[in-house]
Amino acid sequence: MSQTPLSTTPASAAVPRGLAESHSLVMALVGSGGDGVALLGDLMLRMAAQQGLYGMMVQSYGPQIRGGESAVILRIGRQETVYEGDRTDIFLCFRLADLKRFQGAVRLHPQSVVIQEESDTGDLPEWIGRSDRETYRYPFAKIENGIEVPGDPKNMLALALLCRVLGWPAALAREAIGHRFGSRPDVLGRNLAAFDRALAAAPPPPFPIAPGTGRSLFAETGNEAIARGAITAGLRFFAGYPITPSSEIMETLIDELPLAGGCVVQAEDEIAALGMVLGASFGGVPGMTATSGPGLSLMTEMTGLSSMAELPAVIVDCQRAGPATGMPSRTEQADLYHAVFAGHGDFPRAVLGVFDVVHAREVMYKAFTLSERYQLPVLVLSDAYIAQRRQIRAPVEDSRVPPERLVWKPGMGPARFDVGGEHGVTPFRVPGNPEGTYLAAGIEHTQEGYPTADGTIHQQMNAKRFRKLEAIARDTKDWFRTLGAPHAPRGIIAWGSQYGLMKEWVAGHPEYRVFLPEILHPFPIAALDAWRKNLESAAVVEMSYQGQLHRTLAGLTDLSGVVSVTRSGGTPMKQAELERLLDERRS
Amino acid sequence: MKAKDYRSPLEPVWCTGCGDYGVLKGLTQALADLEIPPERLAVISGIGCSSRLPGYTRSYSFNSIHGRALPIATGLKLARPEITTIVIGGDGDGFSIGLGHLPHAIRRNPDVTYAVLDNGIYGLTKGQSSPTTEVDFKRSRGLAGPDERPLNPVLLVLSSGCGFVARTHAGNLPHVRETMRAAIRYPGFSFVHVLAGCATFQTPSYAQEIYERCDMLPEGYDPTDFAKAVEATRGERFQLGVIYRRDPEALPEGALEPAGVAGIWQPRGGGVSEDAAHEE
Repeated sequence: MSQTPLSTTPASAAVPRGLAESHSLVMALVGSGGDGVALLGDLMLRMAAQQGLYGMMVQSYGPQIRGGESAVILRIGRQETVYEGDRTDIFLCFRLADLKRFQGAVRLHPQSVVIQEESDTGDLPEWIGRSDRETYRYPFAKIENGIEVPGDPKNMLALALLCRVLGWPAALAREAIGHRFGSRPDVLGRNLAAFDRALAAAPPPPFPIAPGTGRSLFAETGNEAIARGAITAGLRFFAGYPITPSSEIMETLIDELPLAGGCVVQAEDEIAALGMVLGASFGGVPGMTATSGPGLSLMTEMTGLSSMAELPAVIVDCQRAGPATGMPSRTEQADLYHAVFAGHGDFPRAVLGVFDVVHAREVMYKAFTLSERYQLPVLVLSDAYIAQRRQIRAPVEDSRVPPERLVWKPGMGPARFDVGGEHGVTPFRVPGNPEGTYLAAGIEHTQEGYPTADGTIHQQMNAKRFRKLEAIARDTKDWFRTLGAPHAPRGIIAWGSQYGLMKEWVAGHPEYRVFLPEILHPFPIAALDAWRKNLESAAVVEMSYQGQLHRTLAGLTDLSGVVSVTRSGGTPMKQAELERLLDERRS
Repeated sequence: MKAKDYRSPLEPVWCTGCGDYGVLKGLTQALADLEIPPERLAVISGIGCSSRLPGYTRSYSFNSIHGRALPIATGLKLARPEITTIVIGGDGDGFSIGLGHLPHAIRRNPDVTYAVLDNGIYGLTKGQSSPTTEVDFKRSRGLAGPDERPLNPVLLVLSSGCGFVARTHAGNLPHVRETMRAAIRYPGFSFVHVLAGCATFQTPSYAQEIYERCDMLPEGYDPTDFAKAVEATRGERFQLGVIYRRDPEALPEGALEPAGVAGIWQPRGGGVSEDAAHEE
């Protein structure tokens, strides 16, 4: 991405005296499908990144994914941002009727700036709270004979108004618009004209933000970070099937994997996707697929094959809410059981969890390290909240060498599935090696790979395969994060995208410490037990109806006295809700 | 190299009289004819009686799971284009549980040979009807719905746009050898329908009837004529030979050159050099 250096006036120059600059602010942008709310958010985020500000943006669509209402929540601040915030500082709405579906997502306070469509004469709903400042009204919609007709791009009008609110220079916005539409001069001209028209309107109320460092940062989504992290980790073959909310992993790889010498196939279904990955892996080439819950269900048998035939494979699951079709665009943490336990028969696999966009790249390196080193499937659990989030981060510097598979060379000796291998790992025979021919099999096999129905051999082979899991548990005993003071009396155990909420929570609640596993299976249980000494109270906080992490941990350690604070997915948990849930469970 | 050099030490578990023996023999002869080094050969299967075949070959072979050999072979071929890749399977594996993959493998057109050993029955699970089981047999088992007719796999493959379509009979060894050789040599996805009777769940008289229903394609038959090929797949009788062969240079309109991994990226430990690519 080219970063045009910009000479910008500090934002503070445009700020009226007496109004304090905020170090972090939250914007909520609501409209109908086609209003371009998502693009508006993207442009704002890009402008923040160019100024050296951090931030994140989350989107919400209707259940049908395309069309319908659309909302964007944008938080911008001077520090790395992984939580969307609790109160709305700037609220912009193109159509009040669209607001209904986002109940709870917008929360005004007395200083909030509200920008509304001029022809929307109704009152704001009660639940949104109220601001003491006067609502700013602007004619975004072009109305003829009482009917809305196509007019100026609403998002460009809004972009100009928001620049005025924040005190951001118009040049920065024009550069962002140019970056987006530069290849289509007529579209660019139309958008710039709309921007300039609204810029000349009466100014909206200000809500200035403190300037950034001026050193430009960049924004990427969780899905982009997963794709790019995988390439750095050695990925050279990807097969996938479109599914919300993971599709952008495949789309990013279609653009970027060939540049690294790899290839991408859009498979006919998820079974074929993982099958192709295993075919490539059988050929010695590191492979990956990415999906969401329904696709992971279809991949279950193939996951067992990956473990049984000892073929490395990385499987990313961007969790969405519910079984069957569920709520595709909504987030949840209810695929944990599936990732850890799904499949017939006994077989080892590892399961990792993603905390945020920045962590996604690190997790992918770890996933490929385990998968290639131990020749088994590694599942990576992301979720809609991370996958679809665009987050500003510092530029990436990663010069690590991709992990290597232990490969067989002529004269090396051991059979492909020798039961004596160290940690259960035996040298991988890459096709092309003379004398290395063997049979890979999903059927239980002898050390040479030949089919067997001998129970004693089955027991030995299980022992061989599960020795790998024991070795992984030793390698990964430190794969977790903690937050808060080490001796804080109250403890929370959480995982995945709850990281953002937890980071915010401990900042305001010094009586809490938090444990977040990076690897969910095999779970770093000894580290958890060491961390939870001398706690007065403890809770497992997650987003699944059953409390899947809590129940999983109960099978690994004595969990008496540790309460389960959980609910189904949908919208991400906020601080107020966490506080209420913790109180309820304590009493 | 001789045919026996392409055999692994493993002895087949097939029943005496099984048609699959003939295919194993004809295939290994074809591989010897083509002088494909075993280390540059992959034989991949799903699950079923015939899917045991890869284990009996000396190659990088893969006996995977039911119905999924084609995606695995596609992934391997894209990742390692220099490996000669052959898929072996049965009618249940390929035309029932795995059928969804077949037209997609065809339209991707990897240089993979797919031979379906069709005995019209599920042998491994002891005699259930398959997608190619004939109506009388199903009726005798009380299975048939009002119109549960068998698939015509060759017509299906042709209509999906497969560039090479052939049929042979396991009992005609020289023809199996010749057909497999031609299929493997074809640069693109090639399909071979092999009639291979089941010695246990079909009567000898039925096997004889199938054999007698086979005809060689007539002298002067033009396999590049698609309409003729479609005609040859219809009716009660089985036409043996290369039913359709599209000029491999004449990729369907809009088709792209296949792009793989290994041309630009060498897998670690593969020990493969560019010039060792299989000679056509």
